[in-house]
Amino acid sequence: MPAPEIPNLKSLLASRRGGQQRGRGRGILTSGAKHESSDADKDRAVQNTDQDAATSRLSCIELGYLEDPFAKAFATQPTIRRLPLLNRGTYVRTTAIDILVDKFLSTSPTELKQIVSLGAGTDTRYYRILSKYPSIKVIYHEFDFPSNTATKIATIQKTPSLLAQIRQSLLDPSDLKISVDKTFLTSPFYNIHAIDLRTFSTSPAPTIPNLSATTPTLLLSECCLIYLQPADASAILFSFLTTLIPAPTPVAVVLYEPIRPHDAFGRTMEANLASRNIHLHTLKKYGSLTRQRIRLKSAGFEHGFKAADTGFIWQKWIAEEEKERVAALEMLDEFEELELLLTHYCVAWGWRDRGEEALFGKAWAEVQEQERDDEVG
Amino acid sequence: MSDLDRAIAQLRACRPIPEYQVRELCYKARELLIEEGNVVGVDAPVTICGDIHGQFHDLMELFRVGGDVPDTNYLFMGDFVDRGFYSLESFLLLLCLKVRYPDRITLIRGNHESRQITTVYGFYDECLRKYGSANVWRYCCEVFDYLALGALVIGAATNLEPSDAPFADPTSQASMQTEDQDIEIETLNANGEIMFRFPRNHDASQSSQATSQPSSSPIIDTPSRTGPSGTSATSSANGSRGNDGGAVLCVHGGLSPLIDTIDKIRLLDRKQEVPHEGAMCDLLWSDPDEIDGWGLSPRGAGFLFGADIVKCFNYKNDLSLIARAHQLVMEGFKEMFDSTIVTVWSAPNYCYRCGNVAAILELGEDGSNAGYMRRSNGDVGRRQSSVLTERGRDGPGRRYRVFDAAPQDSRGMPAKKPVADYFL
Repeated sequence: MPAPEIPNLKSLLASRRGGQQRGRGRGILTSGAKHESSDADKDRAVQNTDQDAATSRLSCIELGYLEDPFAKAFATQPTIRRLPLLNRGTYVRTTAIDILVDKFLSTSPTELKQIVSLGAGTDTRYYRILSKYPSIKVIYHEFDFPSNTATKIATIQKTPSLLAQIRQSLLDPSDLKISVDKTFLTSPFYNIHAIDLRTFSTSPAPTIPNLSATTPTLLLSECCLIYLQPADASAILFSFLTTLIPAPTPVAVVLYEPIRPHDAFGRTMEANLASRNIHLHTLKKYGSLTRQRIRLKSAGFEHGFKAADTGFIWQKWIAEEEKERVAALEMLDEFEELELLLTHYCVAWGWRDRGEEALFGKAWAEVQEQERDDEVG
Repeated sequence: MSDLDRAIAQLRACRPIPEYQVRELCYKARELLIEEGNVVGVDAPVTICGDIHGQFHDLMELFRVGGDVPDTNYLFMGDFVDRGFYSLESFLLLLCLKVRYPDRITLIRGNHESRQITTVYGFYDECLRKYGSANVWRYCCEVFDYLALGALVIGAATNLEPSDAPFADPTSQASMQTEDQDIEIETLNANGEIMFRFPRNHDASQSSQATSQPSSSPIIDTPSRTGPSGTSATSSANGSRGNDGGAVLCVHGGLSPLIDTIDKIRLLDRKQEVPHEGAMCDLLWSDPDEIDGWGLSPRGAGFLFGADIVKCFNYKNDLSLIARAHQLVMEGFKEMFDSTIVTVWSAPNYCYRCGNVAAILELGEDGSNAGYMRRSNGDVGRRQSSVLTERGRDGPGRRYRVFDAAPQDSRGMPAKKPVADYFL
């Protein structure tokens, strides 16, 4: 384990006596939470998963797994060097979603596109897209808890390079608006919405400023919907597919989340995260590749519903020379564990196209799905 | 009470000892280890253990299940440090026990007993955190350089002494009755109850019956049972075809294309950091695999080696079995290649994340000294040993004790529930 994660025996004693810790040893902070935790505590635990992911991302960037000049600006914690197998997993996760997003954006590149990132947190994908595809027009929406959007917007405001990127895509820089409480950022192209995703299952469903109902849209959920109750998670997909972006506008979704909760590793994962107050509410319901496919199909992504675990994705989606590059970055000893870890996360992607046009069908025609699914639903 | 006994008591409570004591301990350990050959000779009975990886509380559980030092004779096959939160306490305790009872515990080197690996996988950081300087890490690394590369167990009994242990599942008792048969493999749970018992194949005339027996056993298809799935005897093997009376080679990783005899291991200059390549590196890094001959290892060090390599090596060196560690196996142990090699893994719920069980391997003492003369002490139904000598040699009887991770907060030690990382 990297240094900041090894419990210091002295600090353990201090915290047992009620000593306060800030900023480090997040395990110690949460592991004491054996008492009944409030809903607010649980929400905070979910919100904090973003910083966890951001830390993993930074570790990958520092070591050369990923390229992302924008991530550093959003980091609130010093870079922690993660273990090689975690870096590998973060690399596969990010690269897998990048592949699907890139194929979407580069199919009919002149057409306006829309991306909705659920539980976006400090994700930098919008900025990476802007710098990679300067001529592509994309409306981008990020959703998260107000506490997370406020932090992100504050960072944007104090980081000239980020502001410049956003303004560059606008015809009139004054189109960029930030709410008084600084939890909303709106513009014709880039939007950050402070919305609790659970409100989609209440009526009326929230309205989303600047969301286009007629633009081909990709929904992203990178470890987001899994923290919601199954009914809430379904309500979000339902809202987007019906009221917010009705047919025939093409809509697709890319999910990245844990699967296979029933074996020893899966059971341990669920228990370990529960002790950190993180509950994977939809894990059992969508616990296999087959179940993920059925989920996408029955949600209304009727033209395609596919899934693969990240072990498969590392094997099949990443080019050999890129695999060699990544394998050479760090000495990785823990192969059996890496295999376990990678096979317990999946990417699922599904779409609803507009008749013959088949935008997503074309974009993802070559993306290989995993046939084998050894977990019996 | 001597200083050493005091240090042992303190470490058993999972409390680190002061730096000056570590220095002294490491000095004594080095004096002891320097006298050992690259391949340490160990007499059965012995309990063989795999990776520990700083999971101190699980090491305590191991001692509870396998018996304490010096009552039980132990052989640890390396990877004491890294990954877990208590590498320091785990390694220092084992080292203290080594200095205190040198003839009752053998430590050999794993690929994590290296300066380079420990700086990546946690032991260096842990020393820095617990002592504020890297001195203790340095002392430990100097000891690493002196650890033996392998061990050779001699005098192991061909069959297990029948134990009067109860069966974990009494309904399965009937199908595992072996009153008139010799026991080759037995798997016990942490409570000492028999989960699985496998009789030895006696001769060709009986082999068809004996091989059909394990495959039709209901236990094999039951995933909750950890024993049989780790036992290749249940799938491909017709019981052991090892060499009766042969020794058991213990090494952390596996074989090397540069080593065809154990004597060649003895000739290596081991007192150095683990090199990136070469025979010493291979012994600590290689893995058996379902291939022919040698293959490249995905680990970037060591090699993959197939059944032909193992069988040839065992034959040439008069070995009945190779015991190694190095690879996580969910069932705690895994026999391969007709039981000519076994992986033993002793870190349950590895990294507090993997959900696996752990195992240790007990080899009994052959009462007849010669290794292939069976004890004829009037046991009912024992067969003539001449049967054995006719068909060649059998591997040692193997008793696996399988155990789970130690329960948290149960031993009065600072055992905060560790946090395993996931993708969130």
